[in-house]
Amino acid sequence: MRKIKLPALAAGLIASALALSWALLVLIVSVRPAQADGLAQETEKYCLSCHGNPDLKMTLPSGEQVSLYISAEDLQHSVHSPAGIECEACHTEIKTYPHPPITYTTRREMARTYYLACQKCHSSNYAKTQDSMHAQAAAAGNLDAPVCTDCHGAHNVRPPDEPRALISTTCGKCHTQINQDYVQSVHGGDLLTQDNPDVPVCTDCHGVHNIQDPRTAQFRVETPDLCARCHADAERMSKYGLSADVYGLYNLSWHGVDVAVYKAKWPTIWHESAVCTDCHGIHNIRRTSDPASKVNPANLLSTCQECHPGVGANWTAAWIGHNRIDPQRTPFLYYTEVFYRSLTPIVLWASILYVALQILHAAVERVRRSLP
Amino acid sequence: MSAADQPVNQNSAPVRIERVFQRFTLGQRWEHLILIVSFTILFLTGIPQKYRFTEWSQWLLSTPQRVYWVRQIHHTAALLLTAGVLYHLGNALVLMARRRLSSDMFPTFQDVRDAWQMLRYLLFLTREKPAFGKYNFEQKFTYWFLFFGLGIMVVSGFILWFPEVVTRFLPGGVVPAAFLAHSNEAVIAAIFIVVWHFFHVHFQRLNLSMFTGKLSEEEMRLYHANEFERLTGEKADLDETKGGSQ
Repeated sequence: MRKIKLPALAAGLIASALALSWALLVLIVSVRPAQADGLAQETEKYCLSCHGNPDLKMTLPSGEQVSLYISAEDLQHSVHSPAGIECEACHTEIKTYPHPPITYTTRREMARTYYLACQKCHSSNYAKTQDSMHAQAAAAGNLDAPVCTDCHGAHNVRPPDEPRALISTTCGKCHTQINQDYVQSVHGGDLLTQDNPDVPVCTDCHGVHNIQDPRTAQFRVETPDLCARCHADAERMSKYGLSADVYGLYNLSWHGVDVAVYKAKWPTIWHESAVCTDCHGIHNIRRTSDPASKVNPANLLSTCQECHPGVGANWTAAWIGHNRIDPQRTPFLYYTEVFYRSLTPIVLWASILYVALQILHAAVERVRRSLP
Repeated sequence: MSAADQPVNQNSAPVRIERVFQRFTLGQRWEHLILIVSFTILFLTGIPQKYRFTEWSQWLLSTPQRVYWVRQIHHTAALLLTAGVLYHLGNALVLMARRRLSSDMFPTFQDVRDAWQMLRYLLFLTREKPAFGKYNFEQKFTYWFLFFGLGIMVVSGFILWFPEVVTRFLPGGVVPAAFLAHSNEAVIAAIFIVVWHFFHVHFQRLNLSMFTGKLSEEEMRLYHANEFERLTGEKADLDETKGGSQ
């Protein structure tokens, strides 16, 4: 009894190791499909046994009635439930029935309490929102400022950009006028009718979670760069017959040079020199050929007059547009350039050569005189 | 050819008295001084605006207030220069009306011949330097180059200063053209003054007649022989050694 044979011990060890590996393998293979099937949901069914009732509601201390109905279908199509994320992952304080007493008094307070759970998993995006214009508005006392769930939904969270037009609709829930302008613009129109991936949606210009105040001096002087992300992209612009030189030529213009200096040196000092949106509009940007466009030839003068009050009809031609110098479009500029490219350098170089000859002659004469 | 209307010493004594010749009036010397002052200020305040992306310009124009003040100074100096230009043109018009405008500064075919001979001289094709009148072709070229250059600067400058007013009368296209011209002409004029004018009046020989108003007899004989002969009726060549100025 006492003498255990060494080979028997080894055999036992090997057998147990094999068994353990087999058990692990079975575990791995069996668990994976289970998650994909949503079978990991333990509590959802249990919660829905009450919250699946469309008439379930409660009255908050504020007097607001809140429906407590949760659509099973919403949950199934959301990104969370099929991934095995339980009700109590967000409703952390509810672990039993009857539930603990509620701590909020208004519906909005309820939303602002529960959305804090988002940061448990989405900490970096949550941190970004704390740096946003929306968080500033909330800090200033506007509790209607959106939190995660206002844009993404609560129980029905789905990919926020499928289709992409969903983004402008989401922002438009609060920013209604802007959204109305946007859907009629060249960008919004193409988004809604063609789901065009080239046109910008709200978040392309404003950012996503850390949306900043677009009314600052800094945002203003950075506007040309913002537009240039697409409008200086020759490949993208060529699809629509648009010039990709607009940004480069703007930067050479009086407005552009001024704005570039402010951007580089004094980005926080407000400056009036025109940026793209001053002339083209902001959310209501339209094709130049569109009669409603601010830069349509018929409307250009009144657009200029916003900053240059009282200028006459000739004024618009002072802006060479986003065009290269050209004898037909800008004859004055063209011939001035020809003058400074041809005649003037010739005269200047002739003068310099003449002076050089004089110096040379004087030097030779001096050497000659010093010789015997 | 005969009469010398300049103060010429007639009582020739054993001691040869160096005569001086009036070259520029006091008014002309004032005009030149105003031109120097205004041009220098305009250049110094204009160049940092032209090259706004360079480091030295940004060092100078370090705040929006400085940009504002540099422009104020530029505009003030521009008014000074414009006053000088208007005086110059007005004076010329008045003299012209009285038929007393000197023709000395106007280019003639003789200037072309002089320039050609000078070029041959500089290339060692001849030993004869041309003999000049009151203003040689180099001096006339300086005058007319800057006459048109400053004309361009003043006109384009006012277009840029008051574009909204100007486009009531002129097509809008003149504004960007004025911008280009103002920017280019400034540098060209500055290069021309340094290379051509400074060389001729400071390095080749120190010619301060624009400040003193006077030229010595020797200078007259050497550099303005024809004018000397016209004024004095004497030959400009003193003797073999001095005459050629080789």
